[in-house]
Amino acid sequence: MTGLRNVAVVGFAQLPIVARDEHRMATEMLYPAVRQALADCGVERGAIDYQIAGSTDYMDGRPFGFVAALDVMGSWPARQDLHLEMDAAFCAYYAWVRMQAGDCDTALVAAHGKVSEGEPNRVLNLQLDPYYQAPLGLDPTSTAALQASAYMARTGTSDRQLAEVAARNRAAGAHNAEAQVRTAASADELQRTPWLVEPLRSGYVPPVGETATCLILAAEGKAEKLCDRPVWIHGVDHRTEMQTLGSRDLSRSASARLAAEKAFAMAGLAQATDADFVELSSATPAEELILCEALGLDARAARPVLNPSGGPLCGHPIMMTGGIRLGEAFRQLAGRAAGRGVAGARRGIAHATQGHCLQHNIVWVVGSEPRWS
Amino acid sequence: MRRPVAVVGVGQTHHTSRRSDVSIPGLVREAVDRALLDAGLEHKDIDAVVVGKAPDMLEGVAQPEQFLAGALGANLKPLLRVHTAGSVGASTALTAVTHVASGLYERVLTVAFEKQSEGNVMWALSPNMPFTAPLVAGAGGFFAPYCRAYIMKTKCPPHIGPMTAANARANAGRNEYAHLREPISVEDVMNSPVLWDPIRYLETCPSSDGAIAMIISSEEKAKQGPRKPAWVKSGYSYAEAMWVPGRDQVSPAAGRICAKAVYDKAGITDPWKQIDTAEIYVPFAWFEAMWLENLGFCDVGEGWKIIDRGEQKFGAHLPINPSGGVLCSNPIGASGMLRLGEAALQVMGRAGAHQVEGAKIALGHAYGGGAQYFAMWIVSSEK
Repeated sequence: MTGLRNVAVVGFAQLPIVARDEHRMATEMLYPAVRQALADCGVERGAIDYQIAGSTDYMDGRPFGFVAALDVMGSWPARQDLHLEMDAAFCAYYAWVRMQAGDCDTALVAAHGKVSEGEPNRVLNLQLDPYYQAPLGLDPTSTAALQASAYMARTGTSDRQLAEVAARNRAAGAHNAEAQVRTAASADELQRTPWLVEPLRSGYVPPVGETATCLILAAEGKAEKLCDRPVWIHGVDHRTEMQTLGSRDLSRSASARLAAEKAFAMAGLAQATDADFVELSSATPAEELILCEALGLDARAARPVLNPSGGPLCGHPIMMTGGIRLGEAFRQLAGRAAGRGVAGARRGIAHATQGHCLQHNIVWVVGSEPRWS
Repeated sequence: MRRPVAVVGVGQTHHTSRRSDVSIPGLVREAVDRALLDAGLEHKDIDAVVVGKAPDMLEGVAQPEQFLAGALGANLKPLLRVHTAGSVGASTALTAVTHVASGLYERVLTVAFEKQSEGNVMWALSPNMPFTAPLVAGAGGFFAPYCRAYIMKTKCPPHIGPMTAANARANAGRNEYAHLREPISVEDVMNSPVLWDPIRYLETCPSSDGAIAMIISSEEKAKQGPRKPAWVKSGYSYAEAMWVPGRDQVSPAAGRICAKAVYDKAGITDPWKQIDTAEIYVPFAWFEAMWLENLGFCDVGEGWKIIDRGEQKFGAHLPINPSGGVLCSNPIGASGMLRLGEAALQVMGRAGAHQVEGAKIALGHAYGGGAQYFAMWIVSSEK
């Protein structure tokens, strides 16, 4: 593919992920993230052409939760704007598309959500088909358990192997100042945690967490002025599939595989193992293994480093989990991942997902050099 | 926009208060099938899907695009879900336009819907938030003060709202898809009860079930289609903060900025003269006069005079909402895309009985939030 514009991630800010921020509303949490991202780029809001936000009304427990975010995103005078009912990673994708269309050169990508205001497991039941699946009482833990069972049955993966994946994430999360779970745990310890929904133990599932995030993207020409080490987008693609659990092979992720294939082709990345690190939006160890298979990775290999941030197991703020993966990729390549930097990293992969059982997946390939000359 | 973009297919459902004969996927699929048929295309010809709707509380399904992926024909395709309050249908279509303009996609299916009979819109739109007095009963309660302020500011006489409502119904009578098509007189409107002063019952949009889909295409693919497309000359969406001291809520700056952007890009210097017809988002009758001013068709205080003189009627100088508009059909999430789709049908010359004769340039407009979100496009019969 030729003729694409070089676009980079030039800023990322997030608040530390917490179980519940007692004293702030979603917009009060978002404001410092927006200010920090702009400050890191050394600009005021007026220097950014476009804004886009990601959030979901059901997590906010009210209609139009995103409208209030306009005020803290600096929307005065009026800004070119959009809101997606999607994770920040998908919002960043649309900002990138917009830059490809030549409609903007810089974009602010905000995401917010007070997940602790409700009970995410009950709320996310309402994402399911209201006629056949939601009435069964399925929630994200039970659907993830069905997927884990399907994967384990097909591949013979053991409980111990899930524990080892979780332990690796926990060890990495201990070095991430913004992670919610910052204590390492051994596979032995995790394997002794109680079942939530078999085969998923409490140690294999993230706690409820909330934060606010802000990414800044810029096209070549502007990016270098906003950041000393812009992190360039080499390739990106996203694909969804049917929600109905019975209509797909839950032990595999066809949409992640296709998105990765397309993103790698755009990036000129022959295979996933050519990257130095991979950030996956895997909320359980089984999801991580399914995604590794879809992308062509060996979860036990030393390189690429998997989830240097600790991954979603150490912090899973819904609507932001995916954006944080892209933010982590930025930090790794921009030299801002103090204490957990992947040595010699030049290219990375960031993945995000939405919906039950990895229904919709986006794959980013980013690098420290521009992709197209 | 890096390259020309066209609308090659439009499909909509009949809008009505309760489509109990179809599920949510069934309703959406009806519009999608009609748009594909209109364009002479199949699902395999579509590269990506962009879907929009208003708050998920209206139907009670969170992020319903996820369970609708099958009905949308989105399996193993990129799918985005837009939500920008009342303007969502319009901003959704513009998101699809950008996808094609980028050169990354050749044909994008864009869909907007609402199946309001699944829930209770009035109360879904009446959140009781901390630190905010629960004074608002639905969208009418929110916007009535804006209408009152307009009347006070411009000395708009009391018959303007009723005239607007009666004209919208006369227009809807020519649109087979409209929800409310029975003619009403100015007296009928005057005699209907006041819901939120000054908004009367018959000056209020209905609550509808309905959907619309469009196929947005590159120039190359558009040329392969069975008919003349509508060309997208410009499209922008702008939003502004709510709590700004001195913000003009009657004629918001965001609307004026957005209108100027679409006019400038499309080469329109005198919208009153150059635009042949406009589909604008009028959920409560008084907003028609307000938007005529905000959109730059006339000076401040002159909007109601256009209506008083009947210059916005079907067959007059600038027909506004020849489809009958939001006042006659309001599946909220779809209402904005209906405005853009109806504008496209007009310049394609395919609006049926409500076709504005010789329409070559049309404006499609929607707004949302506390009159904070604006999304518009200019479409033309010529590239």
